[in-house]
Amino acid sequence: MPLLEVRDLRTYFATRDGDVKAVDGVSFSVERGRTLGIVGESGCGKSVTALSIMGLIPKPPARIVSGSIQFDGNELTQVREAELENLRGREIAMIFQDPMTSLNPTLTIGTQITETLRRHLAMSAREADRRAVELLEEVRIPRAKERLKDYPHRYSGGMRQRVMIAIALSCNPKLLIADEPTTALDVTVQAGVLDLLEDLREEHQMAMIVITHDMGVVAEAADDVVVMYAGQIVEQASSLELFDRPEHPYTEALLDALPSLEGEGGREARLASIPGRPPDLLDPPAACRFAPRCPFAGLNDYCSVEAPELRELRPSHWVRSAHPASERAAVAV
Amino acid sequence: MVVNPQQEELRKRVLTRSGRVDAGAPIRQTSLWRDAWYRYRANRAAVIAGGLFLLLVVYVVFGPILSPYDPYAVDFSQAYQPISWSHPLGTDQYGRDLFTRAALGGRISIGIGFAATIAIMGIGIVYGSISGFVGGRLDNGMMRFLDALYGLPYLPFAIIVTQLFQTVNFYVMVIALTIASWFTAARVVRGQIISLKENDYVRAARAVGARWYRILGRHLLPNTLGVLIVFVFLELPGVILGEAFLSFIGLGINPPKASWGSLAQDGRDVYLAHPTMILIPSVAIAWLILCAFFIADGLRDALDPRTRET
Repeated sequence: MPLLEVRDLRTYFATRDGDVKAVDGVSFSVERGRTLGIVGESGCGKSVTALSIMGLIPKPPARIVSGSIQFDGNELTQVREAELENLRGREIAMIFQDPMTSLNPTLTIGTQITETLRRHLAMSAREADRRAVELLEEVRIPRAKERLKDYPHRYSGGMRQRVMIAIALSCNPKLLIADEPTTALDVTVQAGVLDLLEDLREEHQMAMIVITHDMGVVAEAADDVVVMYAGQIVEQASSLELFDRPEHPYTEALLDALPSLEGEGGREARLASIPGRPPDLLDPPAACRFAPRCPFAGLNDYCSVEAPELRELRPSHWVRSAHPASERAAVAV
Repeated sequence: MVVNPQQEELRKRVLTRSGRVDAGAPIRQTSLWRDAWYRYRANRAAVIAGGLFLLLVVYVVFGPILSPYDPYAVDFSQAYQPISWSHPLGTDQYGRDLFTRAALGGRISIGIGFAATIAIMGIGIVYGSISGFVGGRLDNGMMRFLDALYGLPYLPFAIIVTQLFQTVNFYVMVIALTIASWFTAARVVRGQIISLKENDYVRAARAVGARWYRILGRHLLPNTLGVLIVFVFLELPGVILGEAFLSFIGLGINPPKASWGSLAQDGRDVYLAHPTMILIPSVAIAWLILCAFFIADGLRDALDPRTRET
C-alpha cells in the first residue's frame, strides 16, 4: 500500500462569480521512500494540491469538494482538525517557497526549531535545544550552537531555507512536501539545497513530494513525475521515461522551454515559450483544456469538443491528450 | 594603460574592506530591541522628550517625599504666596504648597493616564485579537458593535460612567476613561492581527501543527507589540486630557485630592491676580503631552522602520 494515495481530489475556491476549480480530479500516489515531482505553471493547482493534503487550504473560500486523501491508513479528508494538527509537522512536513518570509522575524531560530520538537515529541527545553543544534548541523549550518540564538534577519536566504528544512525534518516525518523549495533562492544555492534535501530524504527514509515549475529540479530530484495543467494531471510517468519519451504536447513544450547552453544558437538562442494562456478555471471548457495552445489540435476534431481521458499509453505512463507524441509519429509515417 | 583615479580609489576601498572581514570573527548578537534602541537614539527630539518625561516622573514621585509641607493642611495665613525659596511654586487659596500639590496631582494624572491606557490596551488586545483572528461573521458582528459605540460622544459617555459611582476616586476615573475610549485600540489590534495572519510564517507554523493559541500568542501578538507600544504613547495624551477636562469642570477626582485638571480649576477664579495657579498645572499637562507625542514619534521610527518614509 502506498504511503499517500490521492484519489480524484477536487478543491474548489468559492468566489462571487462561482467556484474556481483549482484542483479538478487529481489522482496520484507516493510510495515510501520515493520522490514525486509535481510540475506545472503558476495557477495549475500544484500548490493547492499540496495544501489540500496538509489541510491548510484557506477555508472559506476553499473547500475539498470530493475525493480522498489516504495517508498511512488515515483518510485525511475525514479526520478532525485536532488530529490533523497532530499529524502536521510530525508525520507530514512541508517547506514553503519563500524562506525570507517563512520564519517569524521576532523569534530566534532556536525557538522556531524547538517549537516543533516540544509540540510533538514532548521534549524538555534542554533536550530540544540539544536536538536543535544537531538538526542545524545536519542541514550544514556552521557554528550551529552560536547561531541558535540569532534572529532570522541574520541568516541568508539559503540558510533560512536550510532552517526550514531542519524544522520540517525535526520530527522525522514520513512525508515531506517541498513547495517550490528552490524558486526563491540564488541559482548557486539551489543545487546545494536540492542535494541536501535528497541526502536527508535518504537518511530519514522519507517520501517526498517536490512541487516546482522547473523541469531541471524534477530531473534532479524526482523518481516519478506528475505534470499538471489547469487543475488536472496531463501526464504521469517515471522521470526517466518522461524525459526520454515525453508524450503530452504540454510536457514537450515545457521541456523545450528549458534554457540550454548547447544546440541551435547556443547561449544566443531565444527561450522557447508556449503561446496563449491557460483556461479560466471558473468555467473550464468541456474540450481538452490544452487544445487552444496545442500545436497539434485540429488534426483531429474530437479533442476540441470533448475532453480526452487520462489513458495508460505504456505501462505506468499516463497521458491526457488526443495527440501524444508516439501516436503522432505513427500518423506521420 | 590609463587608470581612472576614481575607479582606482574605489577598488582600493573595496579591497581593504573585504580584507577586514574575518570569517572566524565572533558573531555580534543584536536583538530587535537593541536595534530599536539605536534607531530611537538617533532621533534627538525623542531623546530629549524622553529625558524631560523622566524628569517629570522623578519630580512627581519624589517631590512629595522631599517636601516638608503637608499637602492637605489648610493655613489661611499662607494663602496665595508668590513663588519663593520656601514655596518654589507658591501656595494656593488655602495656603497649601503648590510644589507638593502639583507633584501629587501629577501622580494622579499620570497614574490615571497610564492605568487607563494599559486597561484600554488590554481590552483592545482581547477584543481585537478575537475579532481579527476568528474573522468571518463573528468579526463582522464585533466590528458593527464597535461602530455603534463609536457613535457615542467621548466625554459625555465618560461623565455618565463616573456618575454611576458615589465617589469619584482614582479607579472610577480609570474605569470611566477606559470604557469611553477602548474602541480605537481594539480596531488597531484587529487590523494588525488580520494583516499578520496572512504571513507565510503563520502558515509555516500551522504546517508544523501549532495550535491556535500558540499561533496567536507566539506568532501574532508579539509582532503587534511594536505598534502597540507606539499606540500607548499616542493614546496617553488623549486620556490625560480627558481626565484633566473632567477634573477641570469639577466632575473628576473628589477634593481634597487633586489632579492637574482640578488644580487648574482652583486657579481659574483668580487667574488675573495669581496666574501661576492656573499656569503651573497647565504647563505640566502640556509638558507631558508634548513629551508623549515626541516619544511616540521616536518609538514609531524605532520599532516600525518601514513606516518611516512618510
